[in-house]
Amino acid sequence: MLFQRLFLGVWLIAGLVMMYLALDYQAPFSYEPVGPRAYPMLMLGLMSAGLAYLLIKPTPIDHAHDEKPMDAPTARKVVSCILLLLAYALLFEPFGFVPSSIVAGFLFARLYGGRWLPSLVTSIVMSICLYILFDRILDVPLPLGILDGLEI
Amino acid sequence: METLNFLAQGFGVALTPTNLIIALVGTLIGTVVGLLPGLGPINGVALLIPVAFALGLPPESALILLAAVYLGCEYGGRISSILLNIPGEASTLMTTLDGYPLARKGLAGVALSLSAWSSFIGAFIATCGMVLFAPLLAKWAIAFGPAEYFALMVFAIVCLAGMAGDKPIKTLVASLLGLFLAAIGIDANSGVYRFTFDSIHLADGIQFVVLVLGLFSVSEVLLLLEKTHHGQDAVKATGRMLFNFREAKSVFLTNLRCAVSGFVMGVLPGAGATLASALAYMTEKRMAGEKGEFGKGDLRGLAAPETAIGASCCGAMIPMLTLGVPGSGTTAVMIGALTLYNITPGPLLFQNEPTLVWGLIASLFIANVMLLILNVPMIKVFTKILAVPNWALVPIIAIITSIGVYAVHATTFDLILMVIIGILGYILRKLDFPLSPLLLGFILGGLMEQNLRRALSISNGSMDILWSSGISQVVWLLAIVMLILPMIRIWRRRSLRRKAHMANV
Amino acid sequence: MALSLRPLAVTAVCALLSTQLMAEPKRPECIAPASPGGGFDLTCKLAQSALVNAKLLEKPMRVTYMPGGVGAVAYNTVVAQRPKDGGTIVAFSSGSLLNLAQGKFGRFDEKAVRWLAAVGTSYGAIAVKSDSPYKTLGDLVEALKKDPSKVVIGSGGTVGSQDWMQTALVAKAAGINPRDLRYVSLEGGGEIATALLGGHIQVGSTDISDSMPHIESGDMRILAVFSENRLNESAMADIPTAREQGYDIVWPVVRGYYLGPKVSDEDYNWWKASFDKLLASDDFAKLRDQRELFPFAMTGSELDAYVQKEVAKYRGMAKEFGLIQ
Repeated sequence: MLFQRLFLGVWLIAGLVMMYLALDYQAPFSYEPVGPRAYPMLMLGLMSAGLAYLLIKPTPIDHAHDEKPMDAPTARKVVSCILLLLAYALLFEPFGFVPSSIVAGFLFARLYGGRWLPSLVTSIVMSICLYILFDRILDVPLPLGILDGLEI
Repeated sequence: METLNFLAQGFGVALTPTNLIIALVGTLIGTVVGLLPGLGPINGVALLIPVAFALGLPPESALILLAAVYLGCEYGGRISSILLNIPGEASTLMTTLDGYPLARKGLAGVALSLSAWSSFIGAFIATCGMVLFAPLLAKWAIAFGPAEYFALMVFAIVCLAGMAGDKPIKTLVASLLGLFLAAIGIDANSGVYRFTFDSIHLADGIQFVVLVLGLFSVSEVLLLLEKTHHGQDAVKATGRMLFNFREAKSVFLTNLRCAVSGFVMGVLPGAGATLASALAYMTEKRMAGEKGEFGKGDLRGLAAPETAIGASCCGAMIPMLTLGVPGSGTTAVMIGALTLYNITPGPLLFQNEPTLVWGLIASLFIANVMLLILNVPMIKVFTKILAVPNWALVPIIAIITSIGVYAVHATTFDLILMVIIGILGYILRKLDFPLSPLLLGFILGGLMEQNLRRALSISNGSMDILWSSGISQVVWLLAIVMLILPMIRIWRRRSLRRKAHMANV
Repeated sequence: MALSLRPLAVTAVCALLSTQLMAEPKRPECIAPASPGGGFDLTCKLAQSALVNAKLLEKPMRVTYMPGGVGAVAYNTVVAQRPKDGGTIVAFSSGSLLNLAQGKFGRFDEKAVRWLAAVGTSYGAIAVKSDSPYKTLGDLVEALKKDPSKVVIGSGGTVGSQDWMQTALVAKAAGINPRDLRYVSLEGGGEIATALLGGHIQVGSTDISDSMPHIESGDMRILAVFSENRLNESAMADIPTAREQGYDIVWPVVRGYYLGPKVSDEDYNWWKASFDKLLASDDFAKLRDQRELFPFAMTGSELDAYVQKEVAKYRGMAKEFGLIQ
């Protein structure tokens, strides 16, 4: 419950900051009475009101029937997964699709309980296959990154 | 009578062996492209235009190929929604709501086959509608101006309230967040940049693909981690792959209703499959009332959006063929393809190129039948996805999701944004905020604001325009009915309880 | 790996057969700064097929989509992250230049890239429904003069976009402030056509190519096209220009390509030579016509001078209309 209140509080503050920013939105020209400011202000205002209500009277969280409570080891894993996702996103372009996907894929597989060798093999095969599928067959250009020098 | 002649001529074009093979290949490619989250019919169609051109296909065959890919993509899009709870594109968002719970009950095969069947009915009815009413509907679609669209969006948002269930405030806050997020980026009316923080990457707002894959795919990856940690596995598809007659009968009326409404929505340029499926789901949920199991694996909740998607895809061809106006992003790409063949879609197309138009319509029939036949045996293959262990499945989901996002802008910014949205989505899910109202708010919000302001610019600020036409009055009336319906229900329940109470005393 | 050898061999053969001594840039790619299906996509596809047809490239080059701010995202990506990438050309249009002039492209200005070639143009036009009381541009201007709030004008963009600018020029011709217009911003030519036909707007400020199907079917009329002279195409020869009706409004929408700022001269010259060759050929003219573009050919330093001049002109107009300080 504490976490929920904290999160709602941060969200509410973010909403209010956005409202403050929206105060400035004025068009040099406007051909209608609404203007660019009214809509986001209205939505943010209503959202903040809803959030404030939830802060005062939080609704109890209805956990799905098979959901286990959060414990420290799970939280640690979730945080490392988030870090891994961020690192993958950052390296995707400069490092290139295939190398970054092999590394990220391998680490993901390990994080989800895969054994060393199968994880490694799967991530290598998968990265190369996906590269061929998307870049060559489906015509979605993917970055080559550090493999740029190779003539492939 | 003349129409039937033309249609027979069209089938003559579509049933040649080459064109049949082309339709088959198209549906197969489409299914695969649609299956990949982030890649949708726009990619599939855009991808195949140069191929069709390079192969020197005649215009009829090229258009048949593109139509087959288009329908195939819509078929493929549902697979990840039902099996993995990851909607690959906007329209299949509603499919996750009851499709995924069904898969969790071990009914993945039934869900897939029933959705294929529903989509087939939708597309079939819509294609019939197209044959009969195309020119008439085109006139009706033109009559829809900004004021009418605004009324329609309000109606849709009123329907959104029907999804509130037992946590009204959380649903409200989530939809408002979505409605707000739609305002990010350049304001289409005044050109003012809103909430972009001087970043050019946000100039066009948040891309839908980034939002949907962040909220659903990334958060699903994190939830799967918890499940793996606690040693839970995915529920495998057990037993039956095909729906039975009783199940088909139980959703048949839903199919019929949603086919008609989906078709009508599809004809409106710009409304498209997402609005069609959302409205279909929400009205069906309202109609089922207390008796429905919507959100927990109701077959009607699966059939409704799927029928509407199938129907609206075919409906979207009408403005393209009769007016030369794209009814959806995909048809916009198809119009581009037609111009390559020096064919300008538009009011004269039916007169100047009858073989092409009727060949296309006939091939829609054929592609639909083909998809149904093709997909039923493939369901067994698709449900095998559930048998893949998490340690192998998650890297694939994570990587394909990233590709899907990268394919939009080819920038690192979007990838980072997706992860951040994903973390937010994960927390929201943990805190029991529903995500689909957020996404629907995002889709409807922009359309609602822009159309309101367009309408008011047309009327020079006078509000009367919003309810002056017959169409908008009907839509407003529907919105009011939607608002009042649940109130009547509550009131009736109360009075019943009071009566029971009185009787007891 | 057979797969990796083939392109090598192709490049080698290319280099041998090519009459030019310059080598084809590595991994040619065209960035379309929009979603698939729009004008930028069309511009890239034009270069893609033309270069292959003319045997200047062995394999069709890739088309990458990078939507965002009428080209702003692509512009910044190329300048900041891929300045030396000799294989990457990016499509631009007059719309990109207009936004560049209004400072909407971030911190980079029009001198940040190497302008390569402009390959075609379209022209702005004023369209009305066929039963409209306005028969000429003069009728419309008169009506605007009398009461600008009586005429609903719709166009395909926001305030400050190309379509708005051309509407503002008409307003200026009528001697009224563009702020006093009754203006609706729609999205693209398709929406303008539907809104006109549905009677939601009375005048559409649009693009000549977008409206042609409706002109041919007799649903719409063009009051004036904003080109220098009458257009040299059978269906369009009867359409009067604004100039011949006494209003000096010319509004071309030029389409072309640019390269990163630090691309080597060798690569730049290869591209320039290739486009010079293309623009002179009849095959290219055919491809361009198919895409509803009118002749406009300019490469290298000539184009650079043109771009600088246009951007300066747009900047002046934006100031005049109060869009920028």
